[in-house]
Amino acid sequence: MKTVLKLAASAALCLGAFAHPALAEDNIVKIGVVAAESGSFVSAGHTLPAGVGLAVKQINDAGGFKVGGKTYKLEMVKRDDRTDIATAIAATQELVRDVKVQAIFGSETHDFTLAMAKITQPAKIIHFAGNSTLAKILTPDTVKPGGEDHYLFQSEPQEFQRSGSTARGVLTLLEPLLGFKPKKSVMIVGNDATGQFLSSYYYKALKAEGQDVPDIIFYPPDTTDFSPFLTRAKSLNPDVIHFWYNGDSTLTALPQAVELGAAKSYFLFGVDPGIWKEKQLSADVPVAMSCVPVCWGESSNPKSKAYFDAYFAAGAPHGVTSSVSLLYHDYVHFLVEAWQKADSFDPDKTVEALLSLHHQGVVSDDLTFNPTHQVTHATEVCAAAPGGDISCSMQQPPAEAPKS
Amino acid sequence: MNDSRRAGLKPLRSLLPVLVILALIAAVPLFSPSNRFLSLAISAGINVIALYGLSVLFGQTGILSMGHAALVGIGAYAAAILARDFGVGFWLALPAAAIASAVFAMIVGIPSLRVGGHHFVIMTFAFGQLLAIVLTNGGDYTGAATGLDVTDHVTLFGADMTDLTRYYLMVVAFVTVAAVASWAIIHSSYGRTLRAIRENEKLAASLGINVGRHKIGAFVVSGVFAGISGVLLAYFLGHISPSQFSSFPSIYLALMVMIGGARLIEGPLAGGILVAFLPEVLNLDPVQSRIVYGVCLIAVIMLLPDGLIGGIVRALRGLFSGKPKSERDAAEARQ
Repeated sequence: MKTVLKLAASAALCLGAFAHPALAEDNIVKIGVVAAESGSFVSAGHTLPAGVGLAVKQINDAGGFKVGGKTYKLEMVKRDDRTDIATAIAATQELVRDVKVQAIFGSETHDFTLAMAKITQPAKIIHFAGNSTLAKILTPDTVKPGGEDHYLFQSEPQEFQRSGSTARGVLTLLEPLLGFKPKKSVMIVGNDATGQFLSSYYYKALKAEGQDVPDIIFYPPDTTDFSPFLTRAKSLNPDVIHFWYNGDSTLTALPQAVELGAAKSYFLFGVDPGIWKEKQLSADVPVAMSCVPVCWGESSNPKSKAYFDAYFAAGAPHGVTSSVSLLYHDYVHFLVEAWQKADSFDPDKTVEALLSLHHQGVVSDDLTFNPTHQVTHATEVCAAAPGGDISCSMQQPPAEAPKS
Repeated sequence: MNDSRRAGLKPLRSLLPVLVILALIAAVPLFSPSNRFLSLAISAGINVIALYGLSVLFGQTGILSMGHAALVGIGAYAAAILARDFGVGFWLALPAAAIASAVFAMIVGIPSLRVGGHHFVIMTFAFGQLLAIVLTNGGDYTGAATGLDVTDHVTLFGADMTDLTRYYLMVVAFVTVAAVASWAIIHSSYGRTLRAIRENEKLAASLGINVGRHKIGAFVVSGVFAGISGVLLAYFLGHISPSQFSSFPSIYLALMVMIGGARLIEGPLAGGILVAFLPEVLNLDPVQSRIVYGVCLIAVIMLLPDGLIGGIVRALRGLFSGKPKSERDAAEARQ
């Protein structure tokens, strides 16, 4: 029994060793990042701290920022959620209650963000997440003062805007390469929360562009053999197969599709032309790509080259979804501008300032949040010709959602 | 003290170490742990409750299920849907979700009457996948792949249990109840019947034991534990989605109970804590964690068939009894 008691006491002491007091330093403002730096979502996950970290460095190198007559510098406190919801929740609890951050960025996973918001919002922590799926919870009722998501902001355009920009851009760029106007499209989509949500909007966007969309084919998220789905798609004789939404899965599916000759052209959502070139990918038919929101491998956005030069120089790897970092980078600058305008870190005043500002970012010269805390900006779409030439264009979002 | 009374107290002595450990775990908030630690400990505790159910099924009855997380999911979704559609709160959701999970467990258990071994493991695995598919394609009713929110708070005697320390203590209390219930099953005639089935199904049947009824009974019991675990999880996270209850989390639960030891009362506790905190303590990423768990599982199967706790208990007995190994083995075989 003595041994058992000793073991138990040792265990309790070890557990107690996890305890640590919250840090507090003058003139340092802490912002938290929760992202998948390991696990299955690492591809998009590591772009998040890289984008936020770059913005923090830029602000600090410029001498910090003034609020209430005092100069402050930023400190990024990042936590890996290991693509695991329990870890994401534990990390959020730590950042909110122990580290006492002023704002949180992340996560890139829809489910995790919803669970994280249950912690950040009651604690009045400004929370930015680049999930367009947040539209499901960001309503006039929930974002009003006192509402359950008053401090939550969506740093990606509303899905009808992103889908609308993308659909129009893809069809416009593919038409001259195909030599005819594409009329029939088939969508192949990952069957998870994000895939289900995105595909419903993209379907409407394609229909609004006059496309015949005979089928949306869903595949399980971990699929590696796409032949059953591609065979089904091929039987529908499409002009374009649209692969949504996971860039890594898309890159697995494309060679199989090309080999099978499944369509006359393809669209790869979330694959940067930079990856297309680095991996020396090729196809004997036109392939369109879109970036979230601006491409790094080839871009028509004048500011993006300088941004991505700094981003990669800071050590971030070239990834399928490196551009996702821009859904966070600009909003660190935006938040600091809001604190300066409010002249306070008070969360309610900060929300007011965020809603009234027009911020000049990399993605757009006029970033603004609408009354339901969602941003609006263009999306970049590129297309690779069979010979290898790539052309890109920024596509402005439609003003209104298409009628269903 | 006479022999019969001493024999009557012996099972209680096996419960005491667990109660002492749980009392010490309940005292952890006195050390002002970080909220990250408390949050991970709550998740681990919720898993441990489900593991006590799995230990009845696997440890006592010898049936391995790779769909246990799906039963946790039934409990979690039952709680979320009851709260959304009927305004049913946490305390009423507990028995309702436990019944729902038990009913589903019974349905899963029926094939075990005709199929055994690896085939049955594959069937339970398929059940987990099937549930995830049904929930993902369940439209607004199940929230599809996005899942469901649980916005209600847990209150106890008027106190809001949202505070992490309070929720932690509540989960520790539930773990204690689960451990005591599991201990009571192990030391009851019902537990002895389950072990008889585990050791030799045909022999048990020849003794007049209704094997089929007891096997399904073990599933129902494991479902009750899983359902309660699901309610606690849903109210803790505030948001649930199908991916949390697919086959992969079930494999983790089976791994936890095997590593900790399914037959001893301390096993689920040890397995749950170890698997929850190992990546945290050793700073392992998910890939490294899986490698470590795989190596641990192989080591446990080859060297410690009763799990980590079983191995420790055996080593301690060897150290303090001083009897040669052959004698100890013979004594254990007689138990």
